[in-house]
Amino acid sequence: MTAGPLTAPVETTPPPGRRKKASRGWWTATAIVLLPALIPPISLAWQVLTKGTGTTLPVGRLFELFVATVGLTSAVTVTALTLGTTTAWLTTRTDIPGRKVWMILAALPLVIPSYMAALTIIGATGPNGLISSWLGFEIPTPYGFVGAWLALSIFLAPMAHLIVSPALRLIDPATEEAATGLGASRSRVFFTVTLPQLRPALVSAGLMVGLYTISDFGAVSLLRFDTFTRAIFTLYAGQIDRRPAAALSLVLMVLALAILFIERRSRSRAGYTMTRTGRARRLLGIRGWARGLSLGFLAAFAFLSLVIPVSVLLFWLIRGLSGGIELGTFWDETVRSMGVSVAAAGLAALAALPVAMVTTWRRARLSGAVESTTWAIYSLPHITVGIAVVGFALTWARPLYQSVLLLVLTYVAMFLAQSVSTVQDSLRRVSPVLEDASRGLGRGPLQTLGRVTVPLVSPGLAAGAALVFLSVMKELPATLLLRPNGFETLAIRIWSSTGEGFYTRASAASLALLTVSIVPLLALTYRDLSD
Amino acid sequence: MRWAIAVVVGAMAITACGSGGSGDLLIVYSGRSEELVQPLIDQFTESTSIEVEVRYAGSTDLAATLLQEGDSTEADVFFAQDPASLGAGAGMHTELPQSVLDSVDPRFADRNGRWVGTSGRVRTFIYNTDTSVELPQTIDDVTDPSWFGEVGVAPTNGSFLAFVSAMILERGEDATLEWLKALAANDPQDYPKNTPIVAAADAGEIEGGLVNHYYLLRLRAEGEGNDSENWFIPAGDVGTLVMPAGVGILSGTDVPESARQFVEFLLSEAAQTYFANETFEFPLIPEVQPSGGLPALEDLNTPDIDLSQLADVLDDATRLVSEAGLV
Repeated sequence: MTAGPLTAPVETTPPPGRRKKASRGWWTATAIVLLPALIPPISLAWQVLTKGTGTTLPVGRLFELFVATVGLTSAVTVTALTLGTTTAWLTTRTDIPGRKVWMILAALPLVIPSYMAALTIIGATGPNGLISSWLGFEIPTPYGFVGAWLALSIFLAPMAHLIVSPALRLIDPATEEAATGLGASRSRVFFTVTLPQLRPALVSAGLMVGLYTISDFGAVSLLRFDTFTRAIFTLYAGQIDRRPAAALSLVLMVLALAILFIERRSRSRAGYTMTRTGRARRLLGIRGWARGLSLGFLAAFAFLSLVIPVSVLLFWLIRGLSGGIELGTFWDETVRSMGVSVAAAGLAALAALPVAMVTTWRRARLSGAVESTTWAIYSLPHITVGIAVVGFALTWARPLYQSVLLLVLTYVAMFLAQSVSTVQDSLRRVSPVLEDASRGLGRGPLQTLGRVTVPLVSPGLAAGAALVFLSVMKELPATLLLRPNGFETLAIRIWSSTGEGFYTRASAASLALLTVSIVPLLALTYRDLSD
Repeated sequence: MRWAIAVVVGAMAITACGSGGSGDLLIVYSGRSEELVQPLIDQFTESTSIEVEVRYAGSTDLAATLLQEGDSTEADVFFAQDPASLGAGAGMHTELPQSVLDSVDPRFADRNGRWVGTSGRVRTFIYNTDTSVELPQTIDDVTDPSWFGEVGVAPTNGSFLAFVSAMILERGEDATLEWLKALAANDPQDYPKNTPIVAAADAGEIEGGLVNHYYLLRLRAEGEGNDSENWFIPAGDVGTLVMPAGVGILSGTDVPESARQFVEFLLSEAAQTYFANETFEFPLIPEVQPSGGLPALEDLNTPDIDLSQLADVLDDATRLVSEAGLV
């Protein structure tokens, strides 16, 4: 199974090896990693309970925000899942030409953060936009629901694609061939055999997309659609009293956890065993108009999700530069972005090791709780984490306030689940017997760790680091709240420039961010492909 | 494995390096935008060799941050867009030297000497010249149904909140809430800041907006802004409120001398000329005249509001804005 961060935790047949009792070292390390990560929700709850909520929004307004948030999330989830599953199916199951290229193109938009997507929508439409300049007619900028829905759906579809693809590959061809052999039509096979086996992956993908949408701050701010997240920031930045923002953050955290809880419950208990059969799957041949349609779909998706954004950015950049706008350099912001991203990625990979260990190789009764905790922390919307950590730092950890260290640690807590997931995948493929052998041969625990365990999971560590790197490069709301004075990252530069209407500057910073992000992403998708 | 750790440590070192310790650093919390004031701050550093680190965010945001940080704040100077957010934390400010306070007209300085104005701005109604809607004669006309869906506001912006505070002082809370509700019922288009409102009005995306006077002049200096105009509401009510951007020194500052120099710099001829010629605001010292075709401040029909009191009702203002459903 491919290492995706985002893969649905599949119950594979575990490799042979004794179930060891959890060694204290691993559990201590896990506690050291996870307990601080629990600080944001706990300290936020404490903050709100002890300081009160201040004057919050009127109930009618809260209800409006709730409907807007849930509405957007549902719409985006359905759309992104549909788009992502279609691209996944076309690139893994059919024999259309250029499959591998389409696979990469389908995953590539993952480098584009939601606020950049919003920027490109704004930059493409409107009286000064790309479309107006090239085609002569003006498409009014889709502020509000439509814009937010478009920005998020198109750019979250790759996430669904990356989760559904490996699942599609793993479905035992025998089940489908048996159904075909028994006379079922192609669509019947899909709906009655394939789709049910895809359920865990679809639920997982839906969860990822849904949580991301609830947490999204950049796109809804720039496209001016009021969701909970946007309202939280408005309260935070627009009031002297910080309590209403904290209170609403707590509400949003609970909402996110509720969604996570529902997903965990609905995880299929039917226990589809996906074993490697060793039989190659026969790709579905599509011909004629179906082939044209499929290629057209993939091309259109790539056009919307890659060509248009980059074109808009280049268009604004070139137009601005030739109009005499001075850009200055983004060197400082780039170095800072890369610095914190690398630091967080490295720490997250390291921190993932004990957590992955106690949930994979050395399962005990607490392992389920550890797994759930990791995902619970991951599901918390980033702006709420930011608000929580600011409050925590000011009250309990003053020296850390507005420090780079606190910022990096917060990143690690927020994105830990991504690296845990990839390390888990690596651990699942390898037998713990190797560790036993090393110990049996006389190596101490630390030596075994360094010489045997870590090298065995290094693909997972690297993949996890790459994922966290990408996530931190793109991160916006928590960075806004926690950054030291004068510490601007590329993400902040893009967001603030777009907010002020400096599209040329925003585009230049965007291109810098894309350039830096593309390498890790290509490395990740290449790994995916070569499996 | 070892190289991975080295990389991580290296990365942390590089990023931590960028944000140096406080030392002799002057830390400014600026509610004014980077685009507008960074060049001026660079001028200050050039002429005094004092290194400045700036935190840019909204004025109200920074006021809330300062209050949240309390006595342990590292900030030395608060440079805000409006007197309301400036005054909100006035308890944390130290009294400015009398010479500084005397350099401006008394109405542009805090009565208790906790802050001083640095440049004057007037609230205005920007409108697209193609609009057929009748321009507002009083601030209440802005909530008229003829402007439904066509007025841009920035409800979290410091200047807007100061304007609401002024309305509370002039009319009382109940009347202000009524006005805000009427505005909210008129489908206002909300923006995070003033600049996008002006750009939108110029582009015809909206027909009008509540902003400060100088944004249009800046837009024109860049060759745009030809399809919109500033409209100073004739009634002379809070729609044409005059208020200064201003600065205050935090009492907990560890570099009081540098802070004082910074404040004096902002009121120097060099800085006031910058405000007049680059940002098109009203200079507040008699030695410098406004430019960009602006009349003298005294010649505008503006309301008589005690700016020192704005901060007292800022909390109420944000509460009312929230209650009215504008956020």
